[in-house]
Amino acid sequence: MTEHESVRQLLALSAAGLLDAGEERLVREHVGQCAQCAANLDDYLALSAGLSELPAPQPPAYLVSRTAMLLAAEADRRQGAVFAAVASIFALVFVLLIGLTLRIVAGNTAAFVWLIWAVIISILGAASALVLASRRRLERSII
Amino acid sequence: MIYQAAIDESFPVAEPPTHAARLRSADPTALAETVGYYQHRLYRYLLRLVRDQVSADDLFQQTWLHVVRQLHRYDAARRFDTWLFAIAHNAAMDLLRRRPGESLEDCEFSLPARGPDAFSSVLAGERAAMLAAALAELPALCREALTLRFEEGMKLEEIAEVTHAPLSTVKSRVRRGLEAMRQKLCKEDIL
Repeated sequence: MTEHESVRQLLALSAAGLLDAGEERLVREHVGQCAQCAANLDDYLALSAGLSELPAPQPPAYLVSRTAMLLAAEADRRQGAVFAAVASIFALVFVLLIGLTLRIVAGNTAAFVWLIWAVIISILGAASALVLASRRRLERSII
Repeated sequence: MIYQAAIDESFPVAEPPTHAARLRSADPTALAETVGYYQHRLYRYLLRLVRDQVSADDLFQQTWLHVVRQLHRYDAARRFDTWLFAIAHNAAMDLLRRRPGESLEDCEFSLPARGPDAFSSVLAGERAAMLAAALAELPALCREALTLRFEEGMKLEEIAEVTHAPLSTVKSRVRRGLEAMRQKLCKEDIL
């Protein structure tokens, strides 16, 4: 490949400011002697300047508020999830402690009844929590 | 309280000290400020990539949701905007790959035909419109590289980080994009 050919490959990148010092020097030296490459480089420089100055499209006015609301809902959901996890652990420990105490004080049957009752209540509680969470999600989407 | 703050339209757009730290706090005001600070750059980038407003809106929101969800993976040693644009890049590429007829790499493109008012295109506004139209006709990866370089002013390494591409590939995309635009615009006597 001749110097002219190799420099021609570098002209666009020179205008984009993406050449290293050695390549840039090679381009400058060649352009000083080659009218065709000098003209091409001018085109690329004009193109680069034009691209840098393109008017920026304006985002719709609602976009930031809608996105911030979405992120706030996400943060709220995460807080709710953390709270639910902590409450679940606390409830589990509480149920097991009461069950253990009942087993010692009143025997296996009482502990078994307590555990069955706790499981039923937990299932009902979890179902209610899911319904509430889905209602909140619906409210967020409406807002 | 969270919703009241989020719904408030008068978000202050301030110079951010550390965006990641503010986003981690999950404070709705901080979220709104950070989104507001980057809205123009991010929206412009997404719109240049996907070329329609509805998709750009969706991707804008998806990007921020992903940012909040993946914040624990953010390395504070990295620039926040580079990380943000990398997430936006992934979301946009997912969408473009699903889009029928979308060319990501192929650099063959055709400029929209000039109308009878071609003479007026020498005016700055018309010229900018023709440039924007020519940019929009480039394959997605080329116009992404040009947008990040010229509109975002990113360095080669930053573009490579955003696009997950080697430096040589980024250079190649910038070169091919500029060459294709120059050829077309010269044919149309715009350059």
